[in-house]
Amino acid sequence: MEEISLKAQELFNIGSFGVTNSLLHALIVSLTLMILAILFSGKIRIVPGNVQSAIEMGAEWLLELMESMLGSMKKAEQYFPLVATIFVFIAFSNLSGILPGVGSLFIKHGHQEISLFRSPAADLNFTLAFAVISVMVTNIIGMMAVGVFPHIGKFLNFKSPIMFFIGLLEFVSELAKIISLSFRLFGNVFAGEVLLTIIFFLTPYIIPLPFLFLEIFVGLIQAFVFAMLTLVSISLHTAVHEH
Amino acid sequence: MEAGGSLFEQLGINWKLFLSQAVNFFILFIILRAFVYKPLLAVIKKRKEKIQEGLTKAREADIRLKEIDVIAKDHLKKADQESIAVIKNAEDRAKKLEESLVKKAEEKQKQLLAQAQIQYEKQQEESRKEVLAQAASLVKRLIVKTVELKPEAVDEALIEKAVNFVKHET
Repeated sequence: MEEISLKAQELFNIGSFGVTNSLLHALIVSLTLMILAILFSGKIRIVPGNVQSAIEMGAEWLLELMESMLGSMKKAEQYFPLVATIFVFIAFSNLSGILPGVGSLFIKHGHQEISLFRSPAADLNFTLAFAVISVMVTNIIGMMAVGVFPHIGKFLNFKSPIMFFIGLLEFVSELAKIISLSFRLFGNVFAGEVLLTIIFFLTPYIIPLPFLFLEIFVGLIQAFVFAMLTLVSISLHTAVHEH
Repeated sequence: MEAGGSLFEQLGINWKLFLSQAVNFFILFIILRAFVYKPLLAVIKKRKEKIQEGLTKAREADIRLKEIDVIAKDHLKKADQESIAVIKNAEDRAKKLEESLVKKAEEKQKQLLAQAQIQYEKQQEESRKEVLAQAASLVKRLIVKTVELKPEAVDEALIEKAVNFVKHET
C-alpha cells in the first residue's frame, strides 16, 4: 500500500527550493485553467455557443447569489473575480485529484517511490495560502469599502473596555478564520485521499466507485464552502455599520 | 518556538511552498480576470442592455399600436357616421327628386290629357263638319238622282237602291 503522508513529498529541487508533488499538481491545474481561459476568451460572442452558455449560466448563478448576499449587483460584479477564482481553482484542483493516473503514477526518489501528483488541497501550504489570501484580501476590501481607520477601529477600539474586548475578539476571529478555512479544506480533501487509498487497497474493483462519487461531491462542496465563506467575509467587512 | 517550528514541519508547512501557492493563485486570478471574467461580464451586460432595449422598444411599439388602434376606431366611427349622413342625404334628395318627377309627370299627364281632349274635340268637330258636308252632298246627289228619274220609274226597287246607296255612302 502507498505510504500515507501528511506532508507533500518533494519531487525535485530547483536550487534550494524543493518542488513537491502537490505544488506540481497545482501548477498543472493553474496552467491548464490559464490555457483554457485564453482559448475561451477568443470565442466569447454576444450570441453564445454551448460552452459559453454553460459558463455564463454558472457565472450568472454565482452573480445572483453574490447579489443576494452583498445587496447590490455592482458589488457582486466587483468581487466576482475573487470568489469565482477561489471556487474554480479549488474545485478543479479537487476534481483533478480523482482523475485516473493521478494517484497511481510514481517516481523513484532516492530509495523510495513517491506519487508524482497529489491533490493540491491535500497539502496545507495550498489551503493555508488560500486562507491567508482570503482573510487578507477581504480585510483590504473592507478598508477600501468603509475606510482604513473605521475598518481598523473594528479591531482596535478604545472607546470602552467592552468595545476593546470585542475588538480583540474580532482580531482573534480573523486569525481563527485562517485556521478554520485552511484546516477544513485540508482535512476534507486529505481524508478523502486517505479513504480512497485504503478502499482501493482493500477492494480495487466496483466498491471504490461510490467513494469516488462521494469525493467528487465533497471536492465541489468544499470549493463552494470556501468561496461562500470568503463571500460572507466580504459582505461583513463591506457593510457600513451605523453607530 | 521550537515546538511551534516542529509542528509546522510536521504539517509540512513551508514558507517557500506557501508563497509559491499564493503567487500561483494570484497569477491565475489575473489571467482569469483579464481573459474570462471581464469579457464575459461585459458580454452579459451588453446582452442584458440589448434585451432591455428590445423590451423597451416592444413596449413603446405596443403603446403606439394601441394608440393607432384607437385612432383607427375613431376614423372608422367617423367614416361610418359620415356614410350614414351621406346615405340619408342621398335618400332625402332621391325622395325630393321622385316627388318632383311625379309632380312633373302628373302635370305633363294633365297637359297631355287636355291636349288630347282639345284634339279629340277638334277632330269631332271636323268629323261632324265633314259628315254634314257629306250629308249635304249626299242629299244633293240624291235629289239629283231623284230628279233625273222618271216619275213612273220611281218604284219600290229604285227607292231601295237609293236607300242602299245612302247606307253605303254613310
